[in-house]
Amino acid sequence: MTEADKLFSIPKIEHGIVIDHIPTGWGLKLLEIIHSYPEMTSVVATVGLNYTSKKLGKKDMIKLAVEDLPASILQHVSMIRAGVTVKRIKNYEVEKRFVVELPETLVNQARCRNPNCITSHERDVPTRFQRVDPKGERYRCAHCERIFPVGELEVWIPTP
Amino acid sequence: MKRDLISVEDLGRDVIEHYLSLATRVEALTPEQKVSNLHGKVLATLFFEPSTRTRLSFESAMCRLGGSVIGFSEATSTSVAKGESLRDTVRTVECYCDVMVIRHPRDGAARTAAEASRVPVINAGDGSNQHPSQTLLDLYTITRFFGGLRSGLRIALVGDLKYGRTTHSLVQALALFPGLEILLVSPPTLRLPAYLKESGAASRVTLRETDDLGEAVRTSDLVYMTRIQKERFPDEVEYQKVKDAYCLSAAMLWDRPHLRVMHPLPRVNEIMPDVDETPCAGYFEQVANGLTMRQAILLDLLGVVP
Repeated sequence: MTEADKLFSIPKIEHGIVIDHIPTGWGLKLLEIIHSYPEMTSVVATVGLNYTSKKLGKKDMIKLAVEDLPASILQHVSMIRAGVTVKRIKNYEVEKRFVVELPETLVNQARCRNPNCITSHERDVPTRFQRVDPKGERYRCAHCERIFPVGELEVWIPTP
Repeated sequence: MKRDLISVEDLGRDVIEHYLSLATRVEALTPEQKVSNLHGKVLATLFFEPSTRTRLSFESAMCRLGGSVIGFSEATSTSVAKGESLRDTVRTVECYCDVMVIRHPRDGAARTAAEASRVPVINAGDGSNQHPSQTLLDLYTITRFFGGLRSGLRIALVGDLKYGRTTHSLVQALALFPGLEILLVSPPTLRLPAYLKESGAASRVTLRETDDLGEAVRTSDLVYMTRIQKERFPDEVEYQKVKDAYCLSAAMLWDRPHLRVMHPLPRVNEIMPDVDETPCAGYFEQVANGLTMRQAILLDLLGVVP
């Protein structure tokens, strides 16, 4: 960690969740997504941007004052980039740590990029994407059947 | 559990061969043997887009099997014009019928309908996505012309391969039959989408692209013509550039009497009327086979063994 990183580092938390190794530029977007979930709206959060990272060169980081993250949020995290690390902290120690992987299915978490897809025109039709190949990063829209790289899907949270 | 016919993507080769076999059995039945099979059953036709062959052939198929038909052929005469959602329309219509056929301009609409419905749903065309009943009747027609979908058969798909749902479904189905040689003939702007080429590339089917109709006529056993679909183009200028890209005439076929020409119809300028009088013309036989295949589909989805 550089001197600048130390000076601006987020303080250690006693309890909570740390989302680490977020590609730089995505930290604020991810925080916006997390806060848009009704149950997460008022969660205390700190965000750090552009830290030096051996793995990524630069990275963002988020710390949240919650005990756990719902699976749906973890799937949204995975859409930003597989490989983001999530750590659960208890008494200042890492109690659990795992790397987020792309899920087999994304339900209501992304918009279809096909402008003629029925999900873009009919209200209340949930979007659903199925992973095309086990090790790849491409998803097929269950409705219009178009295939998109996960990075091209627009992350989306339906309005409650 | 109810079954639907939504996409070739859902069908394996065994299911396709089951339909081909069932259609052969249906073809052999007399009108009297057919007419009692679906007595008391009701087919609903939900056509949000224009259609001649698909809608009438499903209606005729149902009538010839002893069933009845209700439905609409344009959305403006329904509650959709008042803003009703597709899912609500489907949930309403399912109360009045045993099976429904839907055509809709949006990609994926048939899947949405099937997920909302408790009765079987048949996709009669959803946007530029799929047209599986057309594919099954096309395969049935090819089987009748050539004795099967045998290895080495050379099939050219010509025209609008970008927006054409008939070719999208057909190329996915042909990819299930190893050894076929498929020539994709289109202007560069109307090439088959990459995600569909993958299904062929992943199998043992040979896929090759060209823009030369003459090559297709010289080297193929079957030329499958399609219309350049004005209604699918987002840009009128782009349509004008390619609308008459291909035109097949009798003069191009005189030395190819064993070639067969198919077309899902309607045609505009891509097949000249003089082709109708050649031994190559197979598209009206294809239409007739549509009635047989759609009878097979109705029987299968309603669980009736003829």
